[in-house]
Formats: sequence, structure tokens, C-alpha cells
Amino acid sequence: MPSFSALSAAWLFLLLIPLVVFYFLKLKRSRHTIPSLVLWRQVLADQRVNAPFQKFKRNLLLLLQILLLTLLVLAAMQPFLRREASRAERLPVLIDISASMAALDTPGGSSRLDAAKKRVREMIDTLPPDQDLALIAFAKSARRLTGFTNNQRELRLALDALAVEDVAGDLDEALRMAQALTRTVAFDKVLLLSDGNFPAKTNFELPFKIDFQRLADAGQNYGITAFNARRAPGGKWDVFVQLAASAEAETASVSVELEMDGRVIGSESVTVPKGGTPRLVFSVASDQPAQLRAHLTTTGFDSLAADNTASLTLSAARPLAVFCPPALPAYRHALESLDGLTVFPRDDLASPAAFDLVFAATVDDLARPARTRCTIGLVPEDLKTLISVKSENTSALDWRRESPLLQHVQLGDVVFMDLPVAAADVKEEAFANLGYEILAQGPRGPLIVERTDGDALLIALLFHTDRSTLPYRVGFPIFVSNVVQAALKQSGLAEAAAARTGVLPPLTLAPGRAVHITGPGGFARDERTDDRGQLTGIPAPRAGDYTLTDGTATPRHIGASLLSPAETSLATVTQIEFADQLTVAATTAVPKADRSLWWLLACAGFVVLLVEWWWFQRRPGVA
Amino acid sequence: MAEAPQITTLLSNRDLDRLARLRLNAARRFTNRSRGEHLAAKGGTSTEFCDFRDYSPGDDVRFVDWNIFARIERAYVKQFHQEEEMHVAVLVDASNSMLFEGKFDLACRLAAALGVLGLRAQEKVSAGALGGAAQRLRPCTGRMSMGKLFVFLESLAPGGETPIEQGIEGFLRQHRGRGVAVVLSDFLSGGDLRRAFSQLHSAGLEVFAVQILGPGELAPDVTGDLRFVDCETHGHLDISSAGDLLGLYHEYRLAHEAELSALCQQRSGKFLSVSAAEPVEEIVFGTMRRKGWVV
Repeated sequence: MPSFSALSAAWLFLLLIPLVVFYFLKLKRSRHTIPSLVLWRQVLADQRVNAPFQKFKRNLLLLLQILLLTLLVLAAMQPFLRREASRAERLPVLIDISASMAALDTPGGSSRLDAAKKRVREMIDTLPPDQDLALIAFAKSARRLTGFTNNQRELRLALDALAVEDVAGDLDEALRMAQALTRTVAFDKVLLLSDGNFPAKTNFELPFKIDFQRLADAGQNYGITAFNARRAPGGKWDVFVQLAASAEAETASVSVELEMDGRVIGSESVTVPKGGTPRLVFSVASDQPAQLRAHLTTTGFDSLAADNTASLTLSAARPLAVFCPPALPAYRHALESLDGLTVFPRDDLASPAAFDLVFAATVDDLARPARTRCTIGLVPEDLKTLISVKSENTSALDWRRESPLLQHVQLGDVVFMDLPVAAADVKEEAFANLGYEILAQGPRGPLIVERTDGDALLIALLFHTDRSTLPYRVGFPIFVSNVVQAALKQSGLAEAAAARTGVLPPLTLAPGRAVHITGPGGFARDERTDDRGQLTGIPAPRAGDYTLTDGTATPRHIGASLLSPAETSLATVTQIEFADQLTVAATTAVPKADRSLWWLLACAGFVVLLVEWWWFQRRPGVA
Repeated sequence: MAEAPQITTLLSNRDLDRLARLRLNAARRFTNRSRGEHLAAKGGTSTEFCDFRDYSPGDDVRFVDWNIFARIERAYVKQFHQEEEMHVAVLVDASNSMLFEGKFDLACRLAAALGVLGLRAQEKVSAGALGGAAQRLRPCTGRMSMGKLFVFLESLAPGGETPIEQGIEGFLRQHRGRGVAVVLSDFLSGGDLRRAFSQLHSAGLEVFAVQILGPGELAPDVTGDLRFVDCETHGHLDISSAGDLLGLYHEYRLAHEAELSALCQQRSGKFLSVSAAEPVEEIVFGTMRRKGWVV
């Protein structure tokens, strides 16, 4: 049974009244004087003339006009055939634009995002007047393209502007965005259009129903999932390239070409077995900053191009600059046993302007510029409202053994004579809100905390090691070594990893400097460094080279790479398990849109109009 | 040689000459007692033998057939046709309905032709107009009265709204004499013609009814939604899709003709329906001769 989306237009049926009235009033019949009405009266009195069909025939023009008006009013009432059991009045449409959505089905074919766009476009084209759509695109984060609207033009413009982002998808972000919408507009159903390339389980609690429409599988894919380097002796770098193939990909031979600053320095072919993840190692000699790029090529079909190239920035080879005041002899002693670093202050060498690692026991030492700082017995300024230190013996209750800083460090038998005490009613969330992560916990407060701010790392020991038994334990030199390793990593001296798409890695430039960033796909953005010269949070939605111009002669280049095994695998889930034990299965069938019938009625009205015209103009006495 | 002037505008001189060879063929012998050229059914004094009858005392012995008496010795009297005078009443419908499409003009021409037939046959001819103001030509006879007949018919003023049956009734109040009543009308008054025809029949007049219809009545060219207005009663009738009703119209028109014909035949009369577009000579010398109206 057809339904009507503009039932209010039914009042137009009232036009039938004036139509009938005017039909009879307007019948200004032409007067025809005849000798006698006798015969015509007999004709009109004939039963055959007064038969129902004959009456109908005599007023056929009126009936045609009534039929025409009825058809037009019915068309104005926007009838449609309901093709779904239920239809939401407001429907948020979550469109996956993660990297895997760019995968093609066949060589030169259409991407999965194209397929999603096609489905949404069909929905927009057949959008009934009483239904509003809201388009939400999500990849690593979600953004609302339109509010709830019935404006087809607005929806089409937003849909056409949609492009794939070379980042991994995060379904939770999209669901959270939809959940946020429920606070302003009520709806009970969400349409999810995705290839299903996200985790099958999520902790999200569904406040609405989900119609998960999974798009058709893409073709086979080969890509680079990891690209990093580790410094090797002799001024060299060991460069590692991890390859992977999609789950459905057949065994194929691929070739990886390595470029350094635009010059090909190595090439290797490898067979990627089905389900295998071969790793290639290149040895690169470079003690100066360099830009590496790995490019994968295959002779067969490769459905996703974004994961075929990865970029890596190598830093210059130099010893790690560490500042450790003489007041911390235990640390200096531990540092002297480590290779590849220079400990300042020293008599034979002037201190550099900035250090890679600073051990600070005083506020003055803490002020020294460095990427990595380790404070001993100092409470960071922003934690002073949360923590106070008392002189009281204590021990560690627990510590994060898996943390790189506390790896192989035993704190169980260490006695601390400083007791950090957290303020009343201060919970762990308060530290987390300030960006701190608690590494070791005492009975009344944290003992060791860590905070990463951009490319700066702060390790705060809230107790002084000189007032503890830690320097006398085997774990102390290990802890110092772990701090040095963290500093090496933070400075990029020991290893380098390719930057991933999503957000560019933090950069340190001159403070307060305007920076113009350009990137692939017409990306352009203007930013300004903070008072510490930090530039953070620069989005990198597409894989490729990003150029940063800050007014100096030499622009800086940063390569952003997809490097997502999940996206490269093109793995799909057929159902999603939510936190409330709810499982939503994916459907691959194209949903049937409601079929609008107004145009059929309009065509029928046009035909009736033609018939009426013919009837009105036909030759007399033909019928 | 100069052509003779037209005697009347109603008929050509040639038609008048041709009419001299025709006479009205009345089926019944409604005649006047006065002597005329029309043969009466009863025995008369003409030379045309009719029958024998037994002799009765007092009969004129000159009419006894002596040859028969000599053979069988019984007296029989010979009877002869009596030539009596027949009254031809020509009634022309002059109502408004006859003003359409030359119906009244044809009616006058036919009235003139039939009146001439009567006058030439030494019948008594009278004429009257029905439907409007009373116009009447008193009975006249003889060829010398043709002028009076023509003048009367030419001067008839058409127009009127009186139904023909009322006109006939009015005519019969002043009419005396038996014979033939030629009624020229469209017979579309809608009134009771049965009564009018019966009155004519009772008055000793054989009804010769000529229905004259215009081409627009025989084949109406109407379509769509119309308002028909009666020219006499001024009543109106709204018709939708008139074109669709033409078939029924023709059925009823033919039925009306059949009814008129039956009315006439039941009263030993004749009926003829003609078109106003038909020439008068075609009707008189063609149709009427074929149908035995004139011989």
C-alpha cells in the first residue's frame, strides 16, 4: 500500500467543489434556436440516454477534469511505496572515509567510497519530504558534514566534497558523534556505510539501532606497513621495511625501491606469500640528516595506492648531549658507563645551547633547554597543588613494569625517605587530566610520573634518589640507561620511525613563528609556533610529503605514511559486538529506497489532460 | 418570340401547364352534392355507366335497359356515375416553426400546385393559414380563381405561435363541404394531432398530410453542449454532447413520421414527408405521382 509523505496536501481535494460548481456554472451553452423541441425532448426522455453509462458519457468532460485534479492532488501528496518495514524520520548516515575505502574493486574500477557515495546519492535522490538526513564522515576522527536536513542540494554538495583520508578508521569516534547528536535531535536509527575495516568489538554502548551496510570487498592489495631505521655502528642505519598483503591477495612478487633524498639507493624484489608479512632490511650509510622513501610496486593489481609509499626522516649522527649536575654523582657515574653520549658539564668541552637529556635536581637545572628532562626530588609546578612531599620513610606499592623507563627495574625493596602525599580527594584522573602518567605508586601518592608534551618528555621522580636506597640497587644503572634510551628515542638519534598520517609529529622551531604548511591533495594550512617553538597537532589526512615554510631559506619536509596493517589488510568484519553484548550484523544487499510515485501520477494526469483535450476537440458524432 | 410573363411567383408557367394534365387522386369519395367533374360513388347523371338495379315504380323509364328486358322480361335500370364537386381545402402552417430553412416557402408553393390541381378539375378550392392570425381564402372554383389563390398564398404573412391542431380546429368551424384537406406543416407542434386529423375525417375531408422539414431537421449539424430554444414556445432545453444523441434523434424523427403516416392511413388519408430543400416540381411531378397523390 502506498503511503503519503505530504498528507497535508490532501486539503487540495477541496478544489473538487469549485471545479464541479464552476463546471456547471460555466456551461455557457451556445443558444441554438430550432423549430421545435419536441423531438429533442423525446430524445432526452429516452431510457438509453438516461442510462448510467450514457450519463457518464454525457459528463465525461467533467469526469475527466475531476480525474485530472484527483491525480494532481495525489501527486502533490507525494505518494511512495514503502520498500522498508520501517523508515526513520531522521537518519544520521555514517560514511567511512578511512584509507581502506579508497581500495578499488577492479583495475580502473570504482573505490568503495564511490560505492558508498552512490548508495547515499540514491537515498538523497529519493529522499521523501518527511525524512531528514545528517551526513557524518569518519576516519580517525568523525566530522559532521551536514546537520539534519532535507535539502537535497546541500546533501549532494557535502557528499561530492567527500574524499578518502589516508588514516585508519575509528568507528567509536563516529558513534560518539552520533551519540552527541542525540542530545539535540531525537532519532533511533543510524546508517553505517563502511567496508567493515575496523575492530569487531567496541566498548561503545549503543543508544540507537545501527543499520550496518557493508560495502563489497575490494581487490587484492599489497602495501608497506612499517618503515623505520635503527642506527648501526660505523655511521650507518639499518632500514626496515615491513610488507603485507590483504587477506584475499594471492602470492605475488613485489619490488621495493628505496630512495634517499630523491636518489635510488637500493631495490629489492620479494615474494609476498598469502597471509605473509615479509620484512626487508636495507643498510644505509648516512651521518647527516636525510629523507628516505620506500616505494612498493607490483606487476599485478594493487587496489590501494596510499600504502605503497612510506617516508622516513633520518637525523644526523652525533653523541647524545646529557646534562647532569655534579650534585648527582650517582647519575654521572652511571652515565659514564654508557656509550654514545657526552655528559655535561665538563671542563674540556663547552656546553651546547640545548641538551638532549637533562637531569635536574634544582629549578635552575630544570630551566635548561632539552627534549628530555628527568627531575629528581622536584615536584613540577603544575603538580604542586596535588602533591606535597613529606620526610617519611616509605616504599613503592606498585609500578608499571612494562614501561620502557622501569623495564627491569625492581622497586620492591627500595626504601624512600621522601613520602609524596596526594592532596585529599585527588584521584588518578586528576594527574591524567594534566597529562601525567603515574609510573610508580607509593602508599599516599605517586612516586614517579611521566608526561609527554609535544616532542618534550618529562620524567619526574617525586622523591630524591639521594634520600633513598635506589642508587644502591642493581636497578639504578638500568633505570638511568632506560632514561638515556628514552632520550635517544626522543631525539631521534638511535632510531627513526616513519611518521604516520593523521597528525604530523611535533616539531620544534623558533618561538612565535608563522608557519605555512602544504601537503598532498591541495592541503594548505597556516599555523604559529608556541612560546617554546613547538608546533603540534598539524593534521595530515593524506599520505605524502608535507612542506613547512617558516620564513627561513630552507623549508622543512616531513613525510606522512599510512603504515597501518589493518588498512593494508583490507580486513572486514561481518558483525560488530558492542559493550552491551549487542551484536549488529552487516548487510551487503543494497537497501531498497522508497519508490516515489508522484511522477507516475503526474504522467497519468498528463495523459488524462491529452484525452480531455481530444474529447473536447473531437469531431461531432464520431463516437 | 417574347416569353410570357410569370403568372405567379409560386410556380413557373411551365409547371402550371404541366399541372393541367394532373388531378388529385382522392381515395374516398368525399364530394359535395353540387355537380362537378369529380365522379361520385352514388349513381349520377353522367354518361359513364356504373351499375344495374331492379326497376322500381317511379323510376325514369328512359334508364330501363330494354335489351335485357327483351331477353329475360325483367326490367333493370341502368345507373351512371354522378359527377359531383369535391372540396379541396389547402391548409398551410404559417407558424414560426415554418420560417426555418424555407419550409414556409415550399409549403406555399405546394399549396399553390395542389390548389391549381383542384381548380383545374373544377373542384371547390379553399385555403387557410394555420398557426397565426386567421387568414382564409373562401371557397372558389374554376380556373379563373387561380389568380385569387395565387394572390392569397403570396400574401400570406408567416409567423405565429398557435399550434397546428388548434389552427385545424379553427378552420373546421368555418368550413363546409367534403373532399380533401391538404395539410402542409412540419407537424412539430407536439400537440394531439390524432384529434385534429379525426376532426378532419369527421368533417368529410380526406387528410393529405405533407410534412415539410428543413435540412437542419433532417440532418442536424449540432455538437457539444447546447441550449436549444423553441422558436414558438421560447422554451429551452439543455443538451450535453448533442453529437452523441443524433442517432436517437433520427430514430424519434422517423418514429414521428411513422406515427403521422399511421394517423393518416387510419383515416383513409395520405402522408408524405419532404425536405424543404427539394424543388416543388420534383415533389409534385415526381414524388406525389409515384405515391399516387396525383394522377
